[in-house]
Amino acid sequence: MEKTIKINLGGVLFQIEEEAYRMLRDYLQSIDNKLRNVPGGNETIEDIESRIAEIFQSQKDLAGIITKENVETMISIIGTPDAFDQYEETASGYHTSQSEKRMYRNPDDRIIGGVCSGIGAYLNTDPVWFRLIFIIFTPVFLIGLFVYLALWIALPSANSDSQKREMYGSNFYRSGANIQGKTSEYPYSSKVGSAFNQVFRAIGKVLFIIVRIFLIIIGVTSVLAGFTTLFSFIIIFVFKYPGSFSIDAGEFNLAYLPDFLNYIVTPAMVPLMTALIVLIVAIPLLAMVYGGIRLIFWFKVRDGYIWLIGLIVWVLCVASLAIISFNEGVSYAERGKTTSLEYFGPTPDTLYIMTGKKISDMHADKEISVTDNYYRIYIDDENDLVYIRSRLDINPADNNSIRIEIERESSGTSRLDAESNASRLNYDFKIAGDTLYFDEFFMIPPDSKWSFDEVEVNVFIPEGTIVSMDKTTEKMCHSYYDYDYVKDPKNRFWIMTEDGLDYIESAD
Amino acid sequence: MDLENTKAQMRKGILEYCILSVLSRNSCYASDIIRELKEARVIVVEGTLYPLLTRQKNAALLSYRWEESQQGPPRKYYELTQEGREYLDDLDKSWDELVKSVNLIRSGKKSKTT
Repeated sequence: MEKTIKINLGGVLFQIEEEAYRMLRDYLQSIDNKLRNVPGGNETIEDIESRIAEIFQSQKDLAGIITKENVETMISIIGTPDAFDQYEETASGYHTSQSEKRMYRNPDDRIIGGVCSGIGAYLNTDPVWFRLIFIIFTPVFLIGLFVYLALWIALPSANSDSQKREMYGSNFYRSGANIQGKTSEYPYSSKVGSAFNQVFRAIGKVLFIIVRIFLIIIGVTSVLAGFTTLFSFIIIFVFKYPGSFSIDAGEFNLAYLPDFLNYIVTPAMVPLMTALIVLIVAIPLLAMVYGGIRLIFWFKVRDGYIWLIGLIVWVLCVASLAIISFNEGVSYAERGKTTSLEYFGPTPDTLYIMTGKKISDMHADKEISVTDNYYRIYIDDENDLVYIRSRLDINPADNNSIRIEIERESSGTSRLDAESNASRLNYDFKIAGDTLYFDEFFMIPPDSKWSFDEVEVNVFIPEGTIVSMDKTTEKMCHSYYDYDYVKDPKNRFWIMTEDGLDYIESAD
Repeated sequence: MDLENTKAQMRKGILEYCILSVLSRNSCYASDIIRELKEARVIVVEGTLYPLLTRQKNAALLSYRWEESQQGPPRKYYELTQEGREYLDDLDKSWDELVKSVNLIRSGKKSKTT
């Protein structure tokens, strides 16, 4: 079924077929052009419009839809605007607006965009010369091509009769463009010119096909790229498919972004930020898919507003996300550190350093590593726990007692805030006899955000002390600079020297 | 010489006179005027009439009133003003004279050739 359009004409509503509508619109436009500048012209236009409404009412069919035939009949009754002034004074001044010439693109005689043909009509010259000029200047730094494209964009297409009249000026009737349904023969063509024009027309067709193929390739690529990206995006975010890889993945894992956001921003902001991120990613991808489909099938839709809305929404999303992120970022603006010191009684001959609570004993749903492999965040969804691997550093002491220094570091809106955040980090260690127990991790207090918290344990041991560590501690102690330090897993004895711990060769 | 053009020139002056004459009998709306002028074969297309009506109205020869219509939008009913009547009287006189003069010339011409 043909598309119909609702219009209001002289205060009466009509349903009109699309083609009939275009015809009516052009007709009204031509009347408007004719009478606009005449004294009392607007009133006359209104009178004519209500008469048209009356004619339509008397002849519309049972369905009540105005067809092309109805419009044609109406025009034959009212007459074309040219016929109006057969009885009018010619000195009324509105003839100037009719004979005024304007440059248009000519849609009836075009090879690419009708630019040359339009210039030809404007200058009363065979368009073939302009075609030649553009072709000659195209190899010169593509000047011809760019000028052509610029004119294509700048010049309007002469679609309506009145525009055609303006385009041809006084040659309108010679051009034949005024006869319904007939494409205009160019009034200036010479024989040589028309032969050239034939050649150009053929070249134009080939060029058009090449451009179409090219556009289709771009379209297909765009659809495929957009679609696959969108697809993997959905898989990752909605179904969290690569979650299984994340335990070993050294990289920051996108799949947990929404979960991760929970720990770094105000929880209330999480749904909003997730939505914004989804829109920021999805809108360009959808645009790629849609744009690609349009390029492939080359259909004409008035979708300018869709693109505009999409662009506006996208820009708004980016702006909102930037503002929110900035506000959230303020809470990480300052770093703060607290240090607590413990002294260990008399130095034993052999000091044992063991792991207290181990990460391997904890339940972790997600594991996220940030910046380097050592710093790892473990998230236990069930118990809503976040724990992070702590660092351990063993150094020679400058006196005869063992000293333990716990450095807690965190971020906050101010240094004081950061320091208070740091002091709330849960880290446990134990001293029992000649043994030190250090936890492998520290915990962020419940209902607290993650703010790049760090805990570093520094143990200062007097030179000459024998140190024995369990495997996890050794890993904690050295992993961030040398994984291969432990050569023999059975022998775990070290001696503190001036330069730090030294490995003791196995005695037995 | 263009015959159509000459005919149009001739009709041009007459048309205004005809509109006033139609309205001198009773007030009517544009379509009534059009029907009468079409029957008399003075005009071909309706569009011609509207600019003239507007101009005569602006010259205060006509006035109009709105009237509801059963089908369609309200209609403008035109009628002659006092000024319009006087104007029409003048035109009537000059028309009679014109017809006389033209007939005189035509019959004179005829009598010469025959």
